Amino acid sequence: MSISLVVVIILVIILVLMYNSLIFKKNQVENIFGSVDTVLKKRYNLIPNLVSSVQEYMKHEKSILENITQLRSKANRADLSDEQKIELDAKVSSALRSIMIAVENYPNLKANENVMQLQRSLNEIEEQISAARRAYNQAVTDYNNAIEMFPTNLMANAMHYHSKKVFEIQDSQRKSPNVKELFEK
Amino acid sequence: MRSLSQLTDFYYKDLFPTLQELENRRKRVKLRVILSGVVLLIVDLMVFSFFRDNLDWLLFLNIAVGSFLYKFITHDYTQEFKERVIEPLIHFIDKDLRYMEDMHISESKFINSRLFTSTPDKIEGNDYIAGMIDGVKIELSDMHAQKRDKDSKGRSSWRTIFRGLFIITEFNKNFSGKTVVLPDSAQNSFGDLIGNWLQSHNINRDELIKMDDPEFEREFVVYGSDQIEARYILSHSLMKRLLSFKKKSGHKVYISFVYNNVYIAIEYGKDLFEPSVFNTLLDYKVAMDYLQTLHLAVSIRQELNIDQKIWSRV
Repeated sequence: MSISLVVVIILVIILVLMYNSLIFKKNQVENIFGSVDTVLKKRYNLIPNLVSSVQEYMKHEKSILENITQLRSKANRADLSDEQKIELDAKVSSALRSIMIAVENYPNLKANENVMQLQRSLNEIEEQISAARRAYNQAVTDYNNAIEMFPTNLMANAMHYHSKKVFEIQDSQRKSPNVKELFEK
Repeated sequence: MRSLSQLTDFYYKDLFPTLQELENRRKRVKLRVILSGVVLLIVDLMVFSFFRDNLDWLLFLNIAVGSFLYKFITHDYTQEFKERVIEPLIHFIDKDLRYMEDMHISESKFINSRLFTSTPDKIEGNDYIAGMIDGVKIELSDMHAQKRDKDSKGRSSWRTIFRGLFIITEFNKNFSGKTVVLPDSAQNSFGDLIGNWLQSHNINRDELIKMDDPEFEREFVVYGSDQIEARYILSHSLMKRLLSFKKKSGHKVYISFVYNNVYIAIEYGKDLFEPSVFNTLLDYKVAMDYLQTLHLAVSIRQELNIDQKIWSRV
């Protein structure tokens, strides 16, 4: 067998491996985003319940409640891109945090069994979302590295792959939520 | 849960009369051990000429006879130490904890932990402690798991898979998959690039899971059946706590999360909670060795902050 044929075979194998690894990384990102989407939806489904439980008491915070309801209806639209979903998630997270802080000002609300149950559910979902976000970020980092680093970047260019955005994880979220602390306040 | 200083107080105050009694006994046993050693040496010198060409055999025979004699002479003392020191200490920690000195965690549980990929051919162990601490099940024991290896000539030898403390307890979050956290040897010996490549191609394990804590990544490698679940279990705070637990124990630590249980294996490389006739039990360092190990094991839930129940497990 001539040397040039061996070289060609090796080159083809390298190209196939590169191609497959790029496809794998892209699919991994999509798969994990699917799971992120599922837990985000789980949280969106809790919002109407939360709003109806607290709106009687929270007369002064009407704007926050309206804001979160709007965000939820936006999030339910089917034509959103992944980037838009990521942006909406950040807004919903911050709106939910302001509601939870506001709840602290109403002792009756804090003691309400329904609100307490909702708080616990939100906490649990928040942990699941945090895990899903972290998994997604890692998958995106691996994917972005592959399409920016040599030599896979050449192939990624040819395949029209573009880098993707990660979820920004705020420092307050790095600490896992402490249920006990929430109730002791 | 008792603190380490409460345990130390109990050891030096309540157990002091027992320790003194045991100390007198230890001195007598030590003398017997030394005398038997001398006798063995004399016998060695007498038979030396017969074994001149087979010194390996003489050495092997010496180790076998020596360890048998040591065990035989110290047997009663060891038993008394366990009954009168270790058992009261365990009951002082929690009176409902059970202690069985000759039992160990079952082989099936050891295998279920998925911590070690080779199946053991022999499992030994002792000092089994089990019960409920703050309403949650925990069990632990000394373990020595070995595998029989055969070479091309058919000669077999025993290889240690794991030797140390093995702990099983419930986890505070619900999960259905498997996540295994192992000491990171590949990345430490081969560097990041090759180490990472080797880890991601480990056929004996599930998928490699890269964690977003650089210090944790340096010390441990994580494999799991589910990328998201692994991160749900290994929150940022648990990773920090596992790191400090590893530092505190000073040994290699293996942790797995399988079907709502946590399995923790700490590789001490020796049989724990055994008294040595050459060291006095009154010595602070010797005492702390027992107390710290015991405290580290039973307070594992607090150390890792998994004693706080999440709503889904209430």
